Amino acid sequence: MASYVLKRFVTSLGLLVLSSMLIFFILRVIPGDPTITALGGAIPDVDPRALLAVRHELGLDRSLEYQYVHWISGVVRGDFGKSYYSQFSVTTLIAERVAPTLQLAVVSLVLGLVFAVSTATIASIWRHRWFDSALSGFTAGGMATPSFVSGIILIIIFGVKLNWLPTQGYVSMQNHPFESFKVVLLPAITLAIHVAAPVLRILRSSLDDVASAPYIRTAEGKGLNRRQVVLRHLLPNATIPALTMVGVIIASLLGGTVIVEYVFARPGLGTLMVDAVFKRDYEILQALVLLAAAAFIVSSFVIDLLYGFVDPRLRVRGREA
Amino acid sequence: MVLRAFRRPSAAIAAIFVFLIVFGAIAAPWIAPYPASQFDYLHLFGPPSFAHPFGTDELGRDLFTRVLYGGRTSLGIASLATVIAMVVGSIWGFTAAFRKGWVDDVLMRTADLTLGMPVILLGLVLVAAFGSSIFSLVLILGILFAPATARLARSAILAELGSDYYLAAISVGAPPWRIVVEQLLPNTLPVLLARASIVAADAIFVEATLSFVGLGVQPPAASWGTLLHVGYSNLYRAYGYSIFPGIVIVLSVLALNTLGDNLQRALDPSRR
Repeated sequence: MASYVLKRFVTSLGLLVLSSMLIFFILRVIPGDPTITALGGAIPDVDPRALLAVRHELGLDRSLEYQYVHWISGVVRGDFGKSYYSQFSVTTLIAERVAPTLQLAVVSLVLGLVFAVSTATIASIWRHRWFDSALSGFTAGGMATPSFVSGIILIIIFGVKLNWLPTQGYVSMQNHPFESFKVVLLPAITLAIHVAAPVLRILRSSLDDVASAPYIRTAEGKGLNRRQVVLRHLLPNATIPALTMVGVIIASLLGGTVIVEYVFARPGLGTLMVDAVFKRDYEILQALVLLAAAAFIVSSFVIDLLYGFVDPRLRVRGREA
Repeated sequence: MVLRAFRRPSAAIAAIFVFLIVFGAIAAPWIAPYPASQFDYLHLFGPPSFAHPFGTDELGRDLFTRVLYGGRTSLGIASLATVIAMVVGSIWGFTAAFRKGWVDDVLMRTADLTLGMPVILLGLVLVAAFGSSIFSLVLILGILFAPATARLARSAILAELGSDYYLAAISVGAPPWRIVVEQLLPNTLPVLLARASIVAADAIFVEATLSFVGLGVQPPAASWGTLLHVGYSNLYRAYGYSIFPGIVIVLSVLALNTLGDNLQRALDPSRR
């Protein structure tokens, strides 16, 4: 078991380092550097000495490899560098915007998962044709609809037409919890749809797979009613392969947050990222993408550990390979 | 065998719809009710009417015409990106399958690196790196979808490599390239084509998202995503504007997904 954990840990670490290199060097593939951005826009007759000075200050006159090492050593200490554009430390910028994103992510996750699990369970218990078809329709439609489209539709219905809910901004939970919830509701529903669709698809196929197992027929033969069969046997067994779902959930959360925050003008990490792309502010971009990659790699690692824990065969396979 | 895919009504409807949007995109200059840049300053943001089934846009142009022409951009980019993704992915996967050993390992690990990550994030980084000209967009989208195709190509080829006709071809002494072109490719092509439909759907999806945020197609060129961008800015003024491009995007992605799904199901007996 220990060797399995160690092996997976080393692999994850390697992946993390590889990702950081990839992110860093991809952004610097095309010639040209952010000095112009740092100086505030394309000014044709900027004093070349000012250019040199800024270059030196930003460390851009050193080799790429040196810059990378410099960045990484900072990252390890928690220092992500300074934004080219605003001169704020990237860490500060990120810290300011964590709360709105976190609130959105948590509420969406809860809404989405509750919806997905409950509808999948109900569909399994009822087994009505129309309900199944409705769910299939929701899954297919949900995966085909970009989050900004569903966001816009929700804004039209609840903001423009009915004016029941605010459609942009952020209110901190500390002082105005009720208002905060009203503001997060529409974006959370949008993101929940985006997360629930793939989860629902996996859950349903998983439930289908388990439904043909012999022990289900035994349970039914014993005389358990449908509800008991689903809740006691089908669902628990179907959710074990659902550990893979966590990866899907995290991926759709990470990706969806960016767009949903943009649509609902929420000052979170998502809008920070979009702004950074616009302004080609590489320091911010690197940090955000690295964090996203880290979140993903760490969760994969944890999932693998859990899998290894649950299914002992997986621990041995590493040695066989 | 492929035709079996169209037995289900949903598949047939999806195929018809795909045909319609492709036709609409190609034939836009001829079937559009108005010239692309005919303004009507008296009717900005007009609601849907007889004369303008989708309404008018911020400059008085007919929105239906704009959607048609936008389809040219969106579908054009998506199809080129799909071709790139399929070609690059196939070569990637085939090389990995043939070489086996550490080459296979390295190639597939690289593919796996990008598989789990949300496509939008990768897309944003690549746009930051390469800019958002149509050329780079096509390249970026192609790169984004190549790894998954590589995985599929590799497993498709591996399945074929165990078959008798392959052994026969080798024992007869056929040169490798000939085996690939004459024997292996025709057998893996259907699976790859089914996949291409889904890649196209994803490409439309991502291009629309990037354009919506302003990082994809740039004005004056218009795609469905940019139309939604304008619609979003004017939501409280004319909400109908956003509905039509949005519906078109959803239906296109849905149709392509359904088509690809049904093709895959028809080709893979175990999935039935």
